[in-house]
Amino acid sequence: MRRLIFFISLCFLTISFGQKTPLNGVNDADPTIYALKHAKIYVSSEKVIEDGILIVQYGKILNVGANFMTAIPQNAVEIDCEGMEIYPSFVELVSDYGVDKTPINKKVSKQQLHSLKGEQYYWNQAVNSEFHPAQNFDFNFKEKKELIKNGFGTINVHRMDGVIRGSGMTVLLDRKKESFVLSDRSSTFYSFSKGSSRQSYPSSQMGMIALIKQFFYDLEWYRNQEGPKGNLTLNTSIQNEKLPKIFCVRDKLEALRVAKLGKELGLDFIIRSGGDEYEAIESIKETGLKYIVPVNFPDGYDVSDPYDQRFVSLEELKNWYEKPSNAYFLDQHGINFALTANGTKLKDFIPNLRKLVKRGLTVESLIRSVSQRPAEYLGVQDFVGTLEKGKIANFIVCESDFFKSNRARIVQNWIAGQKHEISTITDNELAGVYDMNLSGKIYSIEFKKKSEKYSAHIEYLKTIQDTTEGVKKDTVKVKAPVDYSGKNLSFVLPIQDGHFDGIVSCNGSFYKNLGLAEGNATYNSGDFFKWSLIRSEKTKEKKANSSFKLDSLSLDEVLRYPNMDYGFDSLPTAQTYFIKNATIWTNEEEHVLKDASLLIENGKIKFVGHGTVGLPMDVIMIDAKGKYVTCGIVDEHSHIAISRGVNESGQNNSAEVTIEDVVNPEDVNIYRQLAGGVTTAQLLHGSANPIGGRSALVKLKWGFPAEDYLIPESDGFIKFALGENVKQSNSSSRNSVRYPQTRLGVEQVFFDAFTRALEYEKEWAEFAKRPKKEQTAQFKPRRDLELEVVLEILKKKRFVTCHSYIQSEINMLMHVADTFNFNINTFTHILEGYKLADKMKDHGVGGSTFSDWWAYKYEVKDAIPYNAAIMHEQGVVVAINSDDAEMGRRLNQEAAKTVKYGGMTEQDAWKTVTLNPAKLLHLDDRIGSIKIGKDADIVIWSDNPLSVNAQVEKTFIDGILLYDHSISEEMKKRNAEERSKIILKMIEETKGEKGLRKPTRKKRHLYHCNTIGE
Amino acid sequence: MMRSALLIVLIVSIQVLGQTPLPKYKGSILFSGGTLHVGNGDVIDRALIGVEDGKITLVKSGLTYTIDKTEYDTVIELSGKQIYPGFINTNNTLGITEIDAVRPTRDFSETGLFNSNIRAGIGFNTESEVLYSVRTNGVLYTQATPRSGFVSGTSSIMALDGWNWEDAVLKMEDGIHVNWPKKITSTGWWANPGPNKKNKKYEEHKNQLIEFIKSAKSYCEKKNHREKNLKFEAFREVFQGDKRIYFHVDFANEINEVVDLSRELKFKFPVIVGGYDSWLLTERLKENKFSIILDRLHSLPEFDHDEVDLPYKIPAKLEASGILYCLSMHGDMEAMNSRNLPFQAGTARAYGLKNEEAVAAISLNTARILGIEEAVGSVEEGKIASFFVSEGDALDMKTNQVVLAMINGRFLDLSNRQLKLYETYSKKYQD
Repeated sequence: MRRLIFFISLCFLTISFGQKTPLNGVNDADPTIYALKHAKIYVSSEKVIEDGILIVQYGKILNVGANFMTAIPQNAVEIDCEGMEIYPSFVELVSDYGVDKTPINKKVSKQQLHSLKGEQYYWNQAVNSEFHPAQNFDFNFKEKKELIKNGFGTINVHRMDGVIRGSGMTVLLDRKKESFVLSDRSSTFYSFSKGSSRQSYPSSQMGMIALIKQFFYDLEWYRNQEGPKGNLTLNTSIQNEKLPKIFCVRDKLEALRVAKLGKELGLDFIIRSGGDEYEAIESIKETGLKYIVPVNFPDGYDVSDPYDQRFVSLEELKNWYEKPSNAYFLDQHGINFALTANGTKLKDFIPNLRKLVKRGLTVESLIRSVSQRPAEYLGVQDFVGTLEKGKIANFIVCESDFFKSNRARIVQNWIAGQKHEISTITDNELAGVYDMNLSGKIYSIEFKKKSEKYSAHIEYLKTIQDTTEGVKKDTVKVKAPVDYSGKNLSFVLPIQDGHFDGIVSCNGSFYKNLGLAEGNATYNSGDFFKWSLIRSEKTKEKKANSSFKLDSLSLDEVLRYPNMDYGFDSLPTAQTYFIKNATIWTNEEEHVLKDASLLIENGKIKFVGHGTVGLPMDVIMIDAKGKYVTCGIVDEHSHIAISRGVNESGQNNSAEVTIEDVVNPEDVNIYRQLAGGVTTAQLLHGSANPIGGRSALVKLKWGFPAEDYLIPESDGFIKFALGENVKQSNSSSRNSVRYPQTRLGVEQVFFDAFTRALEYEKEWAEFAKRPKKEQTAQFKPRRDLELEVVLEILKKKRFVTCHSYIQSEINMLMHVADTFNFNINTFTHILEGYKLADKMKDHGVGGSTFSDWWAYKYEVKDAIPYNAAIMHEQGVVVAINSDDAEMGRRLNQEAAKTVKYGGMTEQDAWKTVTLNPAKLLHLDDRIGSIKIGKDADIVIWSDNPLSVNAQVEKTFIDGILLYDHSISEEMKKRNAEERSKIILKMIEETKGEKGLRKPTRKKRHLYHCNTIGE
Repeated sequence: MMRSALLIVLIVSIQVLGQTPLPKYKGSILFSGGTLHVGNGDVIDRALIGVEDGKITLVKSGLTYTIDKTEYDTVIELSGKQIYPGFINTNNTLGITEIDAVRPTRDFSETGLFNSNIRAGIGFNTESEVLYSVRTNGVLYTQATPRSGFVSGTSSIMALDGWNWEDAVLKMEDGIHVNWPKKITSTGWWANPGPNKKNKKYEEHKNQLIEFIKSAKSYCEKKNHREKNLKFEAFREVFQGDKRIYFHVDFANEINEVVDLSRELKFKFPVIVGGYDSWLLTERLKENKFSIILDRLHSLPEFDHDEVDLPYKIPAKLEASGILYCLSMHGDMEAMNSRNLPFQAGTARAYGLKNEEAVAAISLNTARILGIEEAVGSVEEGKIASFFVSEGDALDMKTNQVVLAMINGRFLDLSNRQLKLYETYSKKYQD
């Protein structure tokens, strides 16, 4: 039976490692069998053997089982592992050890619009799927030792470069018999980082998302093409198509974006996430995806200065405190995750794993996520990841309570049966005080152990000749190094006491059970003589840390929505409110209702006006005597709440990108806009290119996930832009190559895009006209996301908001639209709208303008604050917008300026920030006025909303109270208490630590139209 | 009656004229019946304001004071209207820039780290189109202030009216501006910030700056030098107490260090400019004779955990402490935004100031901080006749309608490029 197992495993070995290398010398096969016994063996997360035996031969696990049930082969080398634990060694999923880096192109003096890789590769330089680490892998990479020391046995490497990064290779960390590659192509990698590419596209995260989509559609099309296939990037991608896809992101928001992207493409990405998934745990769970979670917990901050302390936000403090509990929370919620050391210093990896255990993650779950699951993710679970019979002998031998005791060490790391000694298996047996007999003279000697090394401390009396006091005796203590290997003991003592006057070198054996040692010594290299030691006192072993204390957090208690300053304790819900005695501005026929009431129920306006209305039982009464009530403000032009880039400026047409992909619900400016009465906004792409990206129409639902911000069933919008920004006039001379550089070129960009979109439509129409049997993949045209969107405009399914300043270009774009038989929906900024308001009226386009900005660049020298009034008089639908996070929260004041400049009535002025922008966004059937049946987006003001004196007291969206001035003050107090609680913990935990992070000045991304880059 | 009619003709004729400064009005004028916000905290109902030869000769309430109106060559009836001292815009590039994006029009950033000797006033462009869109909202003076470097230069206080800078200047060298280094800075550029970190060079830069100022002090202790150092000479009046020293600094730690320096060097009129954290340190600042010029209130809070409306509330906090402070428009696109200065005061009023305190925060307080309170800042007898009349509350954008304004006894042409474009294009649609 035993032989049979041996035979099978041998065959297995031969099969898996594949080749026979000619030998230089005689056969050196090593059939030694090792039996590690009496260890606590974590075979897998499901199976733990308290007193177990692990038998290893030919680099494989021959057998594993309980000590009393498992026979040890006769010729086995037995290793006593009493008090030890054996775990599968760690499997690292995400790393680039030994992989060469892409050389970075020398700085190009002008904007690089095309890939420098050459035509045989994909057109974008951030797509590197053809790269494979095997091409130039350096197995003797310098971190290998460090990895082995820290418990790793298997690593997966890839080149961390680009949005689409190429394939990963899984290797063992030891390569006896060339056997190190476990899986040549194990995975492919993706990220939201361009890496070494200096190509201008993509410049934003939404651009990267679009690039990945287009890439996969291109791949699909390319695969089905007949004829020679010369694109090396796509060829490799087809080859690697079935491999697991690992997507590296920075945080939970990006993780959710990847999940959405994967859904559209029908791909299940494995997400290397940011370690903050707990903050969106429900959404994360809903993705159903696998996660690779880092343990790179933030360092503490130096919080010793009360002023500087303020530079650390509650978000950062909470992250420091809560992130170590992330894995526990994920485990609790049944999310399939693995752990990675990627992003963590190797020496911190095990200490950080222990933090996870301290925060409540069970050891079983821990080893599942650090070895078993990584192996499964890479499809190498038949070889590594657990310690079942037949698997590769990849395991670590550790001191007991390894994950609970900070002192416990890894003793050995076995990789493919190769043993690596990490720390010597000795206990404190030698430590103690001894009487030493050195050729008849007795000395007191003490052996001490410090960081795995013994030293000897000998005491003797030294005679000193003193000229004044005569002979004096002094006690001398000398320290000497000791070499001790478990039995053999040697040390060299410098003694100068008259008896000896030089070096005594001792060598002998230590009998640990007796506390005795004896051997031979030599004095100044003379004859050998006998020495002996007898222990008088044993050094008490310091109790190995038994003080493990569970310190788990409760997610319900710590989590805020969002998890930062001014986050809610729990997500607010829509309630029934009855607001009475108010002055209500309806924006309807009867605009001002005095002493009127408003009933909000189920997120809608149920009643408005005078008279009685039946009130439900659960109604909340609000007395608004002396207050003003309006609908929420609508900002037609906003750039808040956008992650990583408001402009995809890499090309002159970026219709393929959409802000909907990158809504960031954790921008504190959302809360600040609510405090200014803003409830709805169009989050626009910037103005860096003539055809920008698509907008996100959102309600500012602070606390809710990004998806809940998007207004359902709303029309689609896209940003166009004209003038100085798109021709890069105010940019450095580096940006002087992208077409267009003149207003003349701008027109042609539009003509070209629309012309190509029509051709694209035709191509598909022709395909649809083919006989049914020819409507196959082979003839199917290539999907082009950019042209699809441009075509939507021509089909009147998507509407244009165009950034514009001077009348010539405004005129031009209306002509382009007329030529292609559609209407521009809105000119935004439109600072010279007053010069051609009649033409705008004829075209049917609205104007969304600034109240009084001008003179900040050449093309706005003719901007006037009377613009809104003139356009309004000519019958154009006019809105006042912000384009600015600060002004966005004072849009009521900006609207009031239309009264000052040009004399608009208060009613018309108020509509410029409510009903009119709602019309421009095609949302006036549900928002923009107070009317029964419309959404309950309501603001209560302390005063006439157009007055500088007005303050927002309450803001509701869909009947949910999202801002309340008095609650906000309470929240501030709560924030302050929470801050001090965490700061106190930080001071306790980081006491004496060096190199703490200094507080940093946090600067939020404040985007304007012309913001380039992420 | 005759005389009032005369005035109407006068005002109409002003609007027809181009944007050239009008001559000083000859003879005496009585402004009668308006509500006067003096600037010093007082309100006078049915005010009587006499002006002669560019000076204010009379300020009384018509309720308690009787006057023979015939003594005045002209009487202007202002009942129902609001009268304010000309508002003073501080710490701004107005007049030394036209269009920020067009480099040739920028005259506020000299090269080099220490530029104490440069003087903003001589670059002040009285024909800047932007000026005329500012004064129509009641802002009649500006402190033209250079930027960049550790010591950006000497600011000048300019009237928003004049044939040339010599005409417009009220005080050529009112003080030196020091940009205190930041202890914690953000890297990258504003739209794409890199990792933000402790400014490793803070100590180095701070010491470099302090050394420069100390050298200036020891230089100024001697009267004549064989070799004159213009940069140091510029400090002479600062140490004598005739010029202000303005420290641009926001956060508490840096403010404390500025106070320490000022104690050591015994500045007579030190001013904190920016002063986001100044309300945390009012006692210490007061003890050490500091006053404060706040940055634009219409700004986002610096910290996520700040109250959403903290910047709006800071003036009320300073007012309560009794320290001398004023408001400014310093910030993005500050030149053109200067016309919104009155509404900063309006916001401060909505968040705790009394109306007259809010007026003072952009008039007399400012004049006191800049050292020009003898001449301007309030409508009081003996001061320069620089004030304006608004149809309604001038601190509220809804009601700010300036119908009449005067600088140095000269009526202002209240037209501007923007109004002209408005009129021109309004005509286009009349056909």
